[in-house]
Amino acid sequence: MALTRRQFLKCTGAAAAGGLLGPGLFGNVFVQRALASTIGDRYLVVLFLDGGNDGLNTVAPTYFPPANPGFLRTAYQAARNTGVGGLRLSPDDLANTLIANDPNTNEPLAFHPGFYNPDTSSPAYQGLKKLYDLGKVAVIQGCGYPQYSLSHEQSRGIWQTANPLGVSAYSGAGWLGRYLKANYGPTNIPGVTLGDSVAPELRQTVTGVLAIQRLREFGFPYDDASDTDIPFKRDAFAHLYAAAGTGAGAQPSQIYLGDTGTATLTGSESYPPLNSLYLTDRKSFSDNYDALDTSTARALREIAKIIYGVKTNQPNVTARFFELRNGGYDTHSDQGAAATDGQHYALHSEVSNAIKVFYDDCAAMGVASKLCILVWSEFSRRIHQNDNGTDHGSQGPMFVIGGTVRGGVYGRHPNIDQAALDDDGNTVYTQSANGFRSTDIRDVYGTVLKHWLNMDPMVIKSSVLPLDPAPLDPAYYWRTENFDLKRPSDNLDLFA
Amino acid sequence: MGDETTPLSPAEARHLLRRTGFGAQKKDVDRILLLDKTRGRAADRLLNFRSTPFRPNGSEFPNAHNKWIKYLTIARSPLQEKLVLFWHDHFATAISKVADVGLMADQIQLLHERCKGNFKDLVKAINVNPAMMEFLDTVRNDKDVPNENYARELQELFTLGVDDTNGNPNYTQEDIVQIARAFTGWGYDRGKAVLDEGNHDFMADFPARGPKVIYQSTGGFGSGGRSFTVNGEGTAEIDTVIDIIFAHRDSNGRNTVARRTARRLLEYFAHPNPDTAVVDAVVAQSGFGSSPDSWDVGALVRAILVHDAFYETGAAAPFGAQTKKSVKWPIDYVVSTLRLLGMRLKGRDQYVDGGSFRAALDGLSDMGQVLLDPPSVFGWDWETSWISSAALLARYGFARDVTSARGHGTTAFRPERLIDLDLTDPAAIVDAVLGVLGIPDQLTDGEKTTLVNYLTENGTKAVDLHDGVKANGLFALVLQSPAYQLH
Repeated sequence: MALTRRQFLKCTGAAAAGGLLGPGLFGNVFVQRALASTIGDRYLVVLFLDGGNDGLNTVAPTYFPPANPGFLRTAYQAARNTGVGGLRLSPDDLANTLIANDPNTNEPLAFHPGFYNPDTSSPAYQGLKKLYDLGKVAVIQGCGYPQYSLSHEQSRGIWQTANPLGVSAYSGAGWLGRYLKANYGPTNIPGVTLGDSVAPELRQTVTGVLAIQRLREFGFPYDDASDTDIPFKRDAFAHLYAAAGTGAGAQPSQIYLGDTGTATLTGSESYPPLNSLYLTDRKSFSDNYDALDTSTARALREIAKIIYGVKTNQPNVTARFFELRNGGYDTHSDQGAAATDGQHYALHSEVSNAIKVFYDDCAAMGVASKLCILVWSEFSRRIHQNDNGTDHGSQGPMFVIGGTVRGGVYGRHPNIDQAALDDDGNTVYTQSANGFRSTDIRDVYGTVLKHWLNMDPMVIKSSVLPLDPAPLDPAYYWRTENFDLKRPSDNLDLFA
Repeated sequence: MGDETTPLSPAEARHLLRRTGFGAQKKDVDRILLLDKTRGRAADRLLNFRSTPFRPNGSEFPNAHNKWIKYLTIARSPLQEKLVLFWHDHFATAISKVADVGLMADQIQLLHERCKGNFKDLVKAINVNPAMMEFLDTVRNDKDVPNENYARELQELFTLGVDDTNGNPNYTQEDIVQIARAFTGWGYDRGKAVLDEGNHDFMADFPARGPKVIYQSTGGFGSGGRSFTVNGEGTAEIDTVIDIIFAHRDSNGRNTVARRTARRLLEYFAHPNPDTAVVDAVVAQSGFGSSPDSWDVGALVRAILVHDAFYETGAAAPFGAQTKKSVKWPIDYVVSTLRLLGMRLKGRDQYVDGGSFRAALDGLSDMGQVLLDPPSVFGWDWETSWISSAALLARYGFARDVTSARGHGTTAFRPERLIDLDLTDPAAIVDAVLGVLGIPDQLTDGEKTTLVNYLTENGTKAVDLHDGVKANGLFALVLQSPAYQLH
C-alpha cells in the first residue's frame, strides 16, 4: 500500500481539517494586528524551477574510488545508467562540485557539474559552487509534503499555497500572499513578479503585486497625438479603475481588476525610471548579465534594478518580495547527464551563473546580507530513469541563498534504495524518526517566515501555515511546530 | 426558469454574442432580436455553421500565428473559432516543444473540423495526432521503458480530471502505467500515425507484465476493472482505452467525462465554478454521454446557451449581486477590438503606427496568450490569472496602437466610419462609442460621467471630434476601461 500517494488523499480524514479555522479569520482586525511583522530592509526572491527538477541529479551522492560506493551511491548507480541516454554522474563528473556529506549516511554529496562554471573569463566564474564555498548557500534535502501529487499543476499549487491537505481556510492565496495580506494594504506595492502574471505564491486580493517583464517597457502607453490631452486621459483612467469593483454586488474579479489597474498606473510612473538609473550607475554590473545572455539573468537584473531603486529611496518604489521562474525542467526525455550540451546541464548552468552574477551585484550594492533567495520546484523526478529521461517524482532539494544564510547541507537525503521506494518508484515522504526523515516544505517556509520576516511562530501556525491535523499517523504527516531549521553540523539556525 | 423558448432582451443578445463570438455588433444584435427572438433559435443559428477546415499555413511560426489571427478577424462563424480556441486550450500543444509548424497547423485544422462533433472521436483523433505525439512524448514511449506523459495527461486533462466533484480520485498511478503500455510503439511518418509493432508492449512479449487492466479501484467497473489488451493491428487497442475512459463513472455513479467536459464548457462560455446541479442539467438536457455514441459537443453547447445559468451573466451595469462576469481572454480582447473597429492588421514590419501583425503578436505575448504556444500542457490559466500589471499594460498598449493607426485603408483606425464626428453632445458621443464597442449597458453612470469629463476637460471645453485627439482618445479609454476587460 502506497500511503504517500495523493490519490488516497480524501480517504484519510483530511476533509475534517477544513473545520480547524473559520474563513473569517483574516478579516478580524485583532488578528491582523497580531499578524503584523516586518521584513524590514530585507528582500526575498523566490525562484521557481518550472516542470519538476530532477533532484537526484541536482545534489547527487558520490564516492571516492577505489573506496566502495556507499548506500546512497549504490542505489544511485542502480537507478541511473551509463552509456547512451544514461543519466549517471560519475565521481569524476562531480569532482569540482563537492559539498558537505549527507548528515544521515555521511556519504559525500555534490552539485550537478552545471553549478560550477570553469570559464575564468566569465563574470559567473565558478558559479553557485563559489557561493557555496563562501558559505552562502544552504542545500535543504528531501523537501516535500504528505500524500505527494505527481500532477504538475496540483503539486505546483501545493508548494505555492503550502496547503497539501486542502484546508479550506487557507485556500485562495499563496503562502506569501497570506503574509502580504496581513501586513500590507491596498495602496502598497510590496511585491513584483517577473513575468506576465502574478506568481501564485504571492497572490491575494488585498495589496499590490506588480507583474513586470521589463522595466523600460513598463511605462503607460499614451498616444502621441497631443501632450496636453495626456493629463485628462490619465485622470479618466484613474477614475475608471478607482471606481471598478466599488458598486453593490461587485465580484472579486472586478475588485481585483480595479486594484490591479490602479497599482499598474502608479507603478508605470515610478518603475520605468529605475531602468536608466541602474544602467547609469551600475553599467559594469549590467554588462555581466548581458554576458550571460539568458532569460534568468535578464530577469534577475530587473530585480537588481528595483532593489537599487529601493535602496536609493526612489519615490513609490518599495517592493521587497520578488518571484521569477525558469522553465524546461520537465525532462521526460533527453535529460542529459554531465555533457555540457545536455538539457539539465544547460538549465543548471543558467540558474547557477545568473545567481552568481546577481549575488555579486547585490554584494557590491551592500545588500547581500539583506538578500534571501529561495529556489524550489514542484517535485523531483523518478529515481529510476527511463530511456534517456525521468518521469515525475516526489521529494527534492531546495536552495536558500543569501549573505546571512548559514551555508551547508540541511535535511536528509531521501532513501532511494529500490526496496524503500513506493509502488510508483518514488521516494516516500516520512516524518518518522528514522534517518531518512523528509523536510516538510512548511518547515522551510516557516523558518523563512519566522527568521527572515520576523513573524511570531504562533501566528504562523494559526494563520499562514496549516499543520496536518491530528490524529493522523505521525510517521506520514507533519506536526512539527518550531520553524527552526538547524544546520546538522553545529545545530545553528538557517539564518545567522 | 427560462428555457429555449425564452425571448432574449437586448442585453442578453449582446451577452450571447460576446461569449460565443468576438464582440456584439449592432447588426448582429438586431438580427437576434428581430429574427431569432428566443434563446433556442439564436443558439441554433449560431451553431449552424459548416466546420470550415481552416489550417494556419506558414513556413515559420510567426507566419502561421499571424495567419490564424487574420482568419479570426474575418471568420464568418465566430462560434466555430471560439470552440477551436477552447479545444486548443484543452488539448494544449506548444510549438516550443513540437518544433514543427506544419504539425501544429495540422492539429489546428483537426480542431476546426471536429470542434462541434463527437467528443469521443475527437479524443481518438488526438491520440494519433502527430503534434500531440511529439508534445506528450508518445513518440518516445518505448515498450522497454514506457513514458507516462501522454497516459497521465489524457486522463488528468483531456477526459477524467484528477478528482471528481466529491474529491475522490478518478484514476491511480497504476492506471497511468497500464495506459502508457497501450501507447508504446506509436509514432508518425509524413504526418500520418504509424504503429511500430516491434516497439509495442504486446502481452505475448511480456507475459510477466500481465494483461493490461485499468480502473480496478475507480470508474465503477467493479473490482476486476477493465481489460483492454487487443493484439490486433491499428488503433483498435488505443481506441478501446478511450472507450473505457468514456464509460468511467465517478463516485456519484455519473459519467465522469460528460460531467467534467460540461463543467469546462460552462466555465468557458458562462462563468467559473458552475453549480453541480447546472452541470448535471446541461448534461441531461443534451444527452452528452448518455450512450456510448452520444458525445455531440454541439448539443452540449446548445444546452448551455439556453440555460438560465448562462444568462445570469448577461445583466446590465451595475451588475446585481448574482451576475457573474468573466475576464476576456487576450485573443478575445484583440480580435473583438479589431472586428468592432472594422480593422485589419497590417504587414509584419509596419510597426510604428500600430495595428500590425507584429504588434499583435508582441502584444498577445505580453498579455499572456500566444496561440500555438500555450505555456504548458495545462493550457492557459483563465479569469483573474489574466489580470496583472504586465498583461493590462499590454492591453492598454494594444488599445493605444490600434486607435492611433493612421491611413485610409482597412488597416487604419477611422472613427468617422464608426460614429458621427459632428456630434457635440458629450453624453451622446459616449453612448455612441459604447454602442460601437458593444457594451452600451456595461458602464455605470459614474463611469460614463468620467468619460464625459474627459471629452469636455471637466466642463471647460466644447467637444470637437474633428480635432484628431478626442475621438481616438475616447475609443482608447473605453478599450482600456475595466468594463471592456470583462464580458
